[in-house]
Amino acid sequence: MSFKDVIDEEEREAYMLCNEAIVRAALEADVQLVSFYPGAPQTEILDNFERASNKYDLRIEVAANEKVALETVAGGAMLGKRSLTSMKSVGTNVASDALYTLAYTGLDGGCLCLIADDPHAHSSQSEQDGRWFGLTAYLPMLEPSTPREAMEMVKKGFELSEEFGTLVLIRTTTRVNHQSGIVPLGPMDRTPFEKVSWKDMKRPYTSVGELARKGKKEMLERMENIREKMADSSLNRIEYFDGKKLMDEGGSEEELGVITAGVAHSYTVEALSRLELSAKILKLGVINPLPEEVIKKFCEGLDKVVVVEELSPYIEDVVRRLVKDVDVYGKRTGHLSEALEYDIPAVIQGLSEITGVEEPFDYKEHCRKMKKYAEILPQRLPVFCAGCPHRATFWALRRAVGDPDKVFFANDIGCYSMMCLPPIQWSDTLLCMGASMGVAAGVQYAAEEKTIAVIGDSTLFHAGLPGVVNLVHNEDDVTIFVLDNAVTAMTGQQSHPGNPKKAGGREGKKVDIRPVLEGIGVEKIYDISSYEVKDNVDTIKEALAHQGVSAVISHGECALYHFRNYRHAGGELVPYFIDLNKCESVHACVLNFMCPAISVMPEEDGKARIHQDICVGCGVCSKLCPKGAIKSTATMYGGDDKPVLTVEDYEKYQEKKEAEK
Amino acid sequence: MKGTNIILCGIGGEGLVMLSNVIGEACRLAGKNVISGEMHGLAQRSGSVIVHMRIGEEVLSPLIPPGEADMIVALEAMEALRYLYYLKPGGVVLTNKRLVHPPGETHDLVMKKIDKYVEYDEVVEAIKEAGAELREVNALSLAKKAGEVRAQNVVMVGALCSALEGVIPRDSLIQAVKGTVPEKAVESNVEAFELGVDAYGD
Repeated sequence: MSFKDVIDEEEREAYMLCNEAIVRAALEADVQLVSFYPGAPQTEILDNFERASNKYDLRIEVAANEKVALETVAGGAMLGKRSLTSMKSVGTNVASDALYTLAYTGLDGGCLCLIADDPHAHSSQSEQDGRWFGLTAYLPMLEPSTPREAMEMVKKGFELSEEFGTLVLIRTTTRVNHQSGIVPLGPMDRTPFEKVSWKDMKRPYTSVGELARKGKKEMLERMENIREKMADSSLNRIEYFDGKKLMDEGGSEEELGVITAGVAHSYTVEALSRLELSAKILKLGVINPLPEEVIKKFCEGLDKVVVVEELSPYIEDVVRRLVKDVDVYGKRTGHLSEALEYDIPAVIQGLSEITGVEEPFDYKEHCRKMKKYAEILPQRLPVFCAGCPHRATFWALRRAVGDPDKVFFANDIGCYSMMCLPPIQWSDTLLCMGASMGVAAGVQYAAEEKTIAVIGDSTLFHAGLPGVVNLVHNEDDVTIFVLDNAVTAMTGQQSHPGNPKKAGGREGKKVDIRPVLEGIGVEKIYDISSYEVKDNVDTIKEALAHQGVSAVISHGECALYHFRNYRHAGGELVPYFIDLNKCESVHACVLNFMCPAISVMPEEDGKARIHQDICVGCGVCSKLCPKGAIKSTATMYGGDDKPVLTVEDYEKYQEKKEAEK
Repeated sequence: MKGTNIILCGIGGEGLVMLSNVIGEACRLAGKNVISGEMHGLAQRSGSVIVHMRIGEEVLSPLIPPGEADMIVALEAMEALRYLYYLKPGGVVLTNKRLVHPPGETHDLVMKKIDKYVEYDEVVEAIKEAGAELREVNALSLAKKAGEVRAQNVVMVGALCSALEGVIPRDSLIQAVKGTVPEKAVESNVEAFELGVDAYGD
């Protein structure tokens, strides 16, 4: 149910999020070293390990990026320590340089790398299919469907890794990572972290030229061994569905076979149930190497085989290669989609078309009909939080630039990515972590407009710095905006190298951004305080006027992070309010500002209103109001922190003051 | 696949995931199988949030198909209507009596792209017109009454307890609430739960 269960030593059942279950399983397996860069949908693995590190003796890092994280855990595994990293789909692109070579060198200690894909791109820039990493890097890969299976595979993964001396990959998807269910809590047999002698376990982890050619041969042999050993793995299982329920044993009369993996397995079984179809199911847990003999044998005697997997036809194409005398259906036949995530209706539609069994319910028509009722609703798009420093920085940037068409705006990955979404839609590029710097380098050669590149602090440390070095070295003409909010905000305010705290809230060494940029040789650097919107306009104008590389570092802690710390320290939020006598409905606090704490009152001539339960008291709106109508509830009490006050309270206060006069 | 399907929805920051944890834990305590799938958009706060909860021995998928939810529990009324397509015909919508206007709606109003805010009555009328059985709970006032403004979600758990009589035992839900909320807030949250239980019948 919560972190309490992750570290509960009682052996019982618990209701857990899959990401929590993964942490639990790794702790039970005596993992000793973990390192991560946060990113949906796997961030809760880091979050839970951070908390667990306060109880258990293990080494944990929030790494600068996924490549560093993977190299870190590989380093631990070289010394025989069980170690684990996890990363979002696209994070693996960053880590892949190390990943591909680690397959050549092998690893002596148990080492797991979990790759969390995001079909539907819920919180990612693409729907990348991470299964190809296993295949093309020659690394074994397991794929769970449920929290319970994820626990089993984490434990099995460590054993496999140690048995064969290789990094083992586990692939999940958003609907697995963010699925909760009942899982068994096993014994917590942990050993204290101890240093060991490298001399005793020394062997080269080197790969180049002759060594790489030797490593490749060993890697291929290793993969062959794994293929043989895993051929009859219980992680791949055959099930029977009789039209009503799922069984381990079945008859021999099934004509329909379904091969599936991951969360698609659950959609498949429920789709079969609604169609009342009987079928034989091969549920694959080992995604690389695929059990070819098992697949061939499974297909024998079947009329039709349907492959149900999300994203690319990774399994389907192998089935097509292996099985010639059975009709294979899936993405290649157009019955299932290569885009977006699946759900029960998507699988029902595919199976219905393939088998000719009528769909039991017209889901599309139902949705169309019901969504008509919701047409009166406004969209609820993601917006910057109340008090978010980014809102203030972008307000000043927009004023400094004037017409947004006057600049090329290279955006990057973080909360500020939201600038590219409606209704603001101000971003010319948004590719991947750190890309703003590289894109800006090319654009500034070709565009007549000034090029600006916006990047967050965590993203700068992650993948932005080489791009900055490149801009400086080539004497490019770009203004960089570093949004320094102290944390990796979007994933839940984890620390990063620019934060004084390291993993688990322990004291670390803060890497200051300004000296880093100075050291690289950025010619002009301006520090601004995000909330000082009016003053910042001129400073930004000056930075933009500079020919060459200039940087504006906008300092303002993530509001969620800042005000949470503030409240934990005993501080009371002091919201702002609208003085209705002064508000003239000019709406400077609404237009292009989009604060969730501000709405208007149509019944009061459209005057603005600040929701006292949402406002955190950043005060930026009060600086924008040309009528001076927005005031802090603290001002009337001499600036002291006070509990939430309402407009009514203020009016009473005004009356009292009048009466005193 | 029989079982009980519940859609929980609301706005980021309202404690929806905590609500789903209470229900999940209560199911575990009662020895019931439960699966849930949560999804929050890009925003930490203010974005639309939905959690699929499925109770029953045979359920497998973390997603409820459209038209198959027995009940929608909404911490904000607009979100109930937004996800109404998940509800089975004649299913129950249990909503908090509360509307939160997204900043984009205010922006459109000021820009005169729309001529008025959507009103609470319009939203619940649409829910009823679509054939749902509407149940409303003023969770904010009940949470205030219980002495814990933040316990609106727990008020809704109480209301859900009445609505799901026979599916999840009340004792399990109370125990789950006690185990989930901070220790110093246990009393007020249990009070909020009880007020929610009574409010459902009104």
